[in-house]
Amino acid sequence: MIQYTDKIREIAGRLLKDGTVEVFIGYRKGTVPMMNEPVLIRDPDQVDTLHWDVNCGLNLCNYLTRRTEKIGILATGCNSRNIVTHIIENQIKREQLYIVGIPCTGMVDHRAVKRAVGGKEILSAEQQGEKLIVKGADFEKTFEIKEILQSNCAVCRHRNPVEVDEMVADPVPEQEGVEPYKDVESVEGMEPRKKWEFFTRLISRCLRCYACRNACPLCYCPTCFVDESRPQWVGKSNDPTDTMTFHFLRAYHCAGRCTDCGACERVCPVGISMRQFTKKLNKDAEELFSWEAGLTLEQRPPLDVYRPDDYNDFIK
Amino acid sequence: MKNLLEHIGIEPGRLHFSWISSAEATKFVDVANQVYEAVKEVGPAQVFIKRLAEVA
Amino acid sequence: MNDWQPKITTFLCHWCSYGAADLAGVSRLQYPPNFRIIRVPCSGRVSPKFILAALRHGSDGVWVSG
Repeated sequence: MIQYTDKIREIAGRLLKDGTVEVFIGYRKGTVPMMNEPVLIRDPDQVDTLHWDVNCGLNLCNYLTRRTEKIGILATGCNSRNIVTHIIENQIKREQLYIVGIPCTGMVDHRAVKRAVGGKEILSAEQQGEKLIVKGADFEKTFEIKEILQSNCAVCRHRNPVEVDEMVADPVPEQEGVEPYKDVESVEGMEPRKKWEFFTRLISRCLRCYACRNACPLCYCPTCFVDESRPQWVGKSNDPTDTMTFHFLRAYHCAGRCTDCGACERVCPVGISMRQFTKKLNKDAEELFSWEAGLTLEQRPPLDVYRPDDYNDFIK
Repeated sequence: MKNLLEHIGIEPGRLHFSWISSAEATKFVDVANQVYEAVKEVGPAQVFIKRLAEVA
Repeated sequence: MNDWQPKITTFLCHWCSYGAADLAGVSRLQYPPNFRIIRVPCSGRVSPKFILAALRHGSDGVWVSG
């Protein structure tokens, strides 16, 4: 992916120099291995800090809301869908954006790597082609990137950006025959009591740090429902009921908007798979409204429009 | 909404939606009876109740 | 167990179902007394938060009617 990095730097430098954009949003190497961080660049001389490899799992669309300047932004498949969602929801104007598309083959699950090396401290992780070479103080291990993808990337069906001004490389082939909702279906088959136990166990480690909310590009409300105090809808304790309320409502706010970018799971400090909630809603949106978020600028999202043939079996 | 609640393990009989015009008193009574029967059937709620005292 | 009665939080639209409930009362139609009715200006006002809050505070069922 070195060639991507060079191309990204070249494009960003060009855009900043000729004034097409005032700020360029990309990634740079993080201070910790496998944790690349978002960076906003305004000075063309700084484009060399830009970086791209398989550890760019955060979603850059978080930095798009409430901006008035011209912005250049990197966009993988899911990121570009989030950009489209932002445009549909009037958070940013299409004219403000110069979207640099990246054909993406998936991001590495840093937890899987950490588990595979037995939780030892990782000092460096270099990508070389299809392999990731991880080094620590007393070990070195090579991974096939395909085998350590984030769970959402492994079932990704939109690897190429949908809305771009310029691509850094030719589109990659889309994955065929993936079953994105397999785990959702297994939960659907359970008894209500079992389901409840499954989800209670799932969120039992939650610290309510709201990292998932902060990493999520959809969560741009000026006051989040968890911070509202009059009335207070969600208690601030780590009582399981409050935690469940938080996760439930957070997921529900993403209904028909989530692009399954996996940022929430990536940032969770205790490794909760909160995509179990959002994926159910994605599945419903797809089954009931034939809708996948962010694929087109032309159509309004299902919760936004009324159609006489809308799904209404649940209304008596 | 209902689908996700069910998904996390709230029994489907607990949440009901209906559409009744202000002239449809008989329909209201019908649906009220249905809702009552459905909730009675699933029994008392056991999950999702906050047992700690509310801290204001 | 047999004499257990559910508590059902009910959100009724002021213009539709609340009117229907009123009419049911005026017409002396019998229906179960287990509903705790909350009148809302429109059933569109009901947010998922309300439903969760109702369940969290111990209702056995929730009924939203427009």
